Amino acid sequence: MLKDITLGQYFPGKSFLHRIDPRTKVISALLYIAAVFLCQSIMSFIILLAVTLAMIAVSGVPVKIIVKGLKPLIFILAFTTIYNVFFYTGDTILFHWKFITIYLEGVVFAVIMGLRIICLLAGSSVLLTYTTSPIMLTDGIERLLSPLNKIKAPVHEFAMMMSIALRFIPTLVEETDKIMSAQKARGADFSSGGLIKRAKALIPVLIPLFISAFRRASDLAVAMECRCYRGGSGRTRMTKTHFGARDAVLFALTIILGVSIVIVNIYLPIWVI
Amino acid sequence: MTKLKLVDVNYTYSEGTPFRKDALRNINIEIENNCITGLIGHTGCGKSTLVQLLNGLLSPTSGEVIFDGKNIAEKGYDLKTLRHKVGLVFQYPEYQLFEDTVYDDIAFGPKNMGLDKDEIDRRIREAALFVGLEERYLEASPFDLSGGQKRRAAIAGIMAMDPDVLILDEPAAGLDPIGREEILGGIYSYQRKRKNSVVIVSHSMEDMARYSDKLIVMNDGEIFMQGICREVFSEADKLMSVGLDVPQITKFMRSLKSKGVDVRTDIFTVDEAKAEILSKMGGCGNA
Amino acid sequence: MSVPFIKVEDLIFTYDDEDNIDKHYVLKNLSLEIEKGSFVCVLGHNGSGKSTFAKLLNMILTPDSGKIYIDGFDITDPEITENELFEIRRKIGMVFQNPDNQLVATIVEEDVAFGPENLGVEPSEIRRRVDSALETVGMSAYATHAPHRLSGGQKQRVAIAGIIAMEPECIIFDESTAMLDPQGRKEVMNTISKLNREQGITVIHITHNMDEAVKADRVVVINEGEVFLDGTPKEVFSNVAKLRQAGLDVPQVTELFYDLSIHGVDLPSDILCEEEGAEILSAMLKK
Repeated sequence: MLKDITLGQYFPGKSFLHRIDPRTKVISALLYIAAVFLCQSIMSFIILLAVTLAMIAVSGVPVKIIVKGLKPLIFILAFTTIYNVFFYTGDTILFHWKFITIYLEGVVFAVIMGLRIICLLAGSSVLLTYTTSPIMLTDGIERLLSPLNKIKAPVHEFAMMMSIALRFIPTLVEETDKIMSAQKARGADFSSGGLIKRAKALIPVLIPLFISAFRRASDLAVAMECRCYRGGSGRTRMTKTHFGARDAVLFALTIILGVSIVIVNIYLPIWVI
Repeated sequence: MTKLKLVDVNYTYSEGTPFRKDALRNINIEIENNCITGLIGHTGCGKSTLVQLLNGLLSPTSGEVIFDGKNIAEKGYDLKTLRHKVGLVFQYPEYQLFEDTVYDDIAFGPKNMGLDKDEIDRRIREAALFVGLEERYLEASPFDLSGGQKRRAAIAGIMAMDPDVLILDEPAAGLDPIGREEILGGIYSYQRKRKNSVVIVSHSMEDMARYSDKLIVMNDGEIFMQGICREVFSEADKLMSVGLDVPQITKFMRSLKSKGVDVRTDIFTVDEAKAEILSKMGGCGNA
Repeated sequence: MSVPFIKVEDLIFTYDDEDNIDKHYVLKNLSLEIEKGSFVCVLGHNGSGKSTFAKLLNMILTPDSGKIYIDGFDITDPEITENELFEIRRKIGMVFQNPDNQLVATIVEEDVAFGPENLGVEPSEIRRRVDSALETVGMSAYATHAPHRLSGGQKQRVAIAGIIAMEPECIIFDESTAMLDPQGRKEVMNTISKLNREQGITVIHITHNMDEAVKADRVVVINEGEVFLDGTPKEVFSNVAKLRQAGLDVPQVTELFYDLSIHGVDLPSDILCEEEGAEILSAMLKK
């Protein structure tokens, strides 16, 4: 069902990570992603894995939810793993049968690639989407990009659009479900026929969906005007975010992560890839 | 005669996940032919799940849905044809209109059934008549109609499929008193003429008292009461115990009785109350 | 009494909606005064002009002619500045029909903060207002929830909190109960009464539901763009024939008493609740 999409959903809490300024988290997430790509040896991956697990533990987000969030990646994971296991060539043969040869390096490489993808997604989403409400996140991005205001880029409007989109995604997903059921009840068939027939079958869903989205947008615009919305100027925010000791700590930790990965790569080059 | 029945039906949402929720437990109901059945209960009591089981949009976790004596879960059962025979009008159906004209929109269902052009035309005009949609609206775009007219067009779209069982989820939601009366009255006369089976999901005891023959009351995923209207409303205490309301006039008659006036309390329309009180007055020689 | 809080003089409004197949809805010569702190219910069938009236009061729509004074200040003055306009919108909050389409944020408390943030209120003060507004509507426990997981009544209460946080003097409820189930309706009506009683906020509640109108201090019936009836609920609902003519219902007990008096029984016409009615009728029948 469409409703089951949970990727990128906020998990409310009051952990160390929840209370950090979204700007710090955006920058830290970028650094973290860079660190993931810097990992080249098995030792650096151990460090990365340890740090990622520690972040998950600190965030208080249940592992179950994170695993569920990773589900959409199963196909990519399976593909990379299988590809590497079967087609990576190395020196140490683990298994040989007719034309299939599996090398130890291939298995190691597959595991590392899998870990890299998992860490990349789990780590960055724990840093950002799970522990930062979408509004805080867009707010953080808005403020990071605020220097662009000087060249007249509509940074506030862009951030507002982002957060409204985030607000209405679940509503529209639910609505899509409802319209599909309603048209099914009128004999519409979404699951048989060729590609063109199936695409055509979606017209009775898409038209009402668009019309409803426009109606919602115009209703919302009126409601926002009634709540005195007049763009970004003169606006204050309830949650005044400012850099504090926590931010310095997270910032320092991500730098340390990056540096130690580089050092380990150089000095402990075991199974370098 | 029973047209559609549910036997020991259970339905659980998101089985095997932390969001698991029992929506329906032990449901046994029979939807009779030539009868308007009212389905009443709080939001979240399972009504909406139940109606989707009736036309095969959902399948029960356990139990059987029997239509015309056949279990619809059986291998090879044609669910598509079932949906032609069991029509379902969702809540706020006007949000499913999509064609260029009202005429084409009403035609969508019958077209999917593979009917020929003349038959479709006949059915569209007949359905429009039932819901009280004037001819001149048929060539208009559905998006230019008023809210109430859109609702009628959407309901006509299902009526034109000529189902054996027509289920409507809150057909009068959000309408003003005239709109409610016209929609519900239209459905009523449609059923009386067609002599098929109609199920109306509603929150309004007053409306159900006026328009339905039988009532099914649901509470917390279970069937709480069922029977003909008079039987159900005569147990006002039971209804009120789960937070459901009875028509004001029923409450009034009960209050009158509690004040020592010997009147019937199984009354649920103003006309009946009037007759009862006038007869009492005649009896006392007071009027 | 000094100047009335809201004063509307000869308001005329036409909808320039050429796509609409039906007549253009019009307000013609609507004049009305509303006192500070009152609870006024504006009743009318769909298309009677009641929602248009609401949207004129905070300048979402501009009248063709006529004057609207808020606290003695003419808001229809074409010279009105943007700051003055926004001050009017702050003073006169508005809650709409569809709860989904007025919530902006993905977290309840952030949504409530939206209004005060737009007003440029100090962060610590916003925090205080948000907490107190959520407390008032009884939604504190849901402060960090996502709005789309709430029930209709809960969403509507969050929307109300979002308005209260702007510290308005008056709130207009533009059919805010029309899409809710009985439970949600009750929640919202209780919240509305509470705001009026405890915080002295002037309430203008627009509805076509007569049960809700019974709870107001004053009922104004708008029909065909004009004030049709105006008075206390008892005064207004005693005009059964006129209300029916305006496409509205009356409470069933009022209807019964009206019908009985047509049959020559001597009964008061202003009975709204069943207890009161039963009292009078039982005394008469036991004579």
